[in-house]
Amino acid sequence: MISVEHITRRYGSFEAVSDLSFEVERGEVVGFLGLNGAGKTTTMRMLTGYLPPTSGSIQIAGFDVLKQSLEVRRRLGYLAEGVPLYKEHRVIEMLTFQGRLFGMGRKQIQNRAHEVLERVGLDGRARSLIGSLSKGMRQRVGIAVALLPAPEVLILDEPTSGLDPVQRMGVRELIIELAAERTVMISSHILPEIEAVCGRLIILHKGRKVADGTKEGLLLADGGSQLLVRLDARKMDLDTVRKLLVRRVPRAETSVEKHGGELVATIKSTEDPSELVGMLAAERGWILHQLAWREASLEALFGRLATGVAEGEKVTA
Amino acid sequence: MRGVSVIFRRELAGLFLTPLAWVLLLFAVGLNGFLLIALLRSSGGDVDGSLNFLLGQGGTYWMLMVVMPPLLTMRSISEEAKSGQLEFLCTAPVTDTAVVLGKHLAVCAFLAVMWASVPLFGGALEILGVSPDWGQLGMGFLGAVVTGTLFAALGMVASALSSTPLLAAFLGFIFNLGLLLLPFGARSIGGGIGSLVGQVGERMNVLVHLQTSFMRGAFDTADLVFFLAWTGLFLFAAVRLVEARRWWS
Repeated sequence: MISVEHITRRYGSFEAVSDLSFEVERGEVVGFLGLNGAGKTTTMRMLTGYLPPTSGSIQIAGFDVLKQSLEVRRRLGYLAEGVPLYKEHRVIEMLTFQGRLFGMGRKQIQNRAHEVLERVGLDGRARSLIGSLSKGMRQRVGIAVALLPAPEVLILDEPTSGLDPVQRMGVRELIIELAAERTVMISSHILPEIEAVCGRLIILHKGRKVADGTKEGLLLADGGSQLLVRLDARKMDLDTVRKLLVRRVPRAETSVEKHGGELVATIKSTEDPSELVGMLAAERGWILHQLAWREASLEALFGRLATGVAEGEKVTA
Repeated sequence: MRGVSVIFRRELAGLFLTPLAWVLLLFAVGLNGFLLIALLRSSGGDVDGSLNFLLGQGGTYWMLMVVMPPLLTMRSISEEAKSGQLEFLCTAPVTDTAVVLGKHLAVCAFLAVMWASVPLFGGALEILGVSPDWGQLGMGFLGAVVTGTLFAALGMVASALSSTPLLAAFLGFIFNLGLLLLPFGARSIGGGIGSLVGQVGERMNVLVHLQTSFMRGAFDTADLVFFLAWTGLFLFAAVRLVEARRWWS
């Protein structure tokens, strides 16, 4: 549905997005994650065709976003950062304007307007002035406007920024519902937001893609969860310890190394095997120095990737 | 050109929803009304002369022409680019040309409403028992509409060039004044009206194009073409500038 090939965008000498490529299938919900200034908005603007890439090409539904711009725009619902709406108009007027821009008929607009307003939980506010609505409501009007022409692709730039937790939850639920029917791309710098909604994550750092994949896939590629076991190495045989550990914790990846006076075992597993290893140690009379379970989390991964601690690192799954 | 009419309708509604537009309208109509009464008094009741003064003969006409269009076009592009509405329009399934044309037409329609006050005064005089020369008045009104169209197109260029509405308005004044004073500048540079530069400048004389046809109540297609051709050229430049904004940003 969306195909991005080696796009780069420069503002003067500053490179906001560097050699970014990815594909999005129909019906996928993809989250764009990155700190402020990572290139999320620039990428989204290029996807809509508003900003031409310095180099590279983008296709949406088989159409080039620059050369066949109108074909692309007809299939696109876009909520820009900051939700630009005409504040002097009423909600229904804004929706009607959007419908007309998409060439919809009067009757069709009326029906759809009520549908989308109900969808975003604003069915009573059709006659309200946009300027008098709260920020959260305005955000939802923005989503309703983007949804009105029933676009195949929905691009939402920071749809929950500036909302309170309750409004945030509302928007999140709304997006989950929408995701069932269409291709959606959402950007955010808030991880839980994206994690709850998107099947796939793309993490950007300084304009580069540093991770791309499903949540599970990324965690696995990053090493996954693991148990660290440190034992006193005296009178211990490395191979025996490994064998015993593998027998006790079968569905795991176990490795044992010798570090000075210690044997260090790492057990990669999806579930915490501390108890099993503890029992084994008690049975065999091992002297345990440490038994530490490290749960892999997206948060830790995102933190590492997005702050650039892992400069040059790349995770793909 | 569905897009043009959709944008036009939104823009016109938007204009009339802002207080600034009403203030401008009130000011222009009030000024013209006040002037008309003063002129009728001083001329001893010369209806046609007074109405003609309001539609091109007098300085107030040109002052309004220089000042009003930029104040209406200043928001059209520069403010919307800032607030993100331009991004909304330029990602909707309408062309950039439709966006610029729709916005320009809305400003022209507003100016037409403003100048319609003069024929309305004519109507009031008619009711009072003095019949104005309707042919001349109608042509004068048409002349005001096409002049407004030209100056509004220059205002669109200024708006597309500027990052803030204030700058857009100021630049618009300068452009409009520049266009009006161009023939005089050409004359002094070329050394008289007979020189080559002076002659070229004379071709660009908005005053002359208006006075030789519209204000005399005569319709000359050549003069109409002059106004429309330059309007088209300026609008084309405005469209290109809107496109270029994305490459610059």
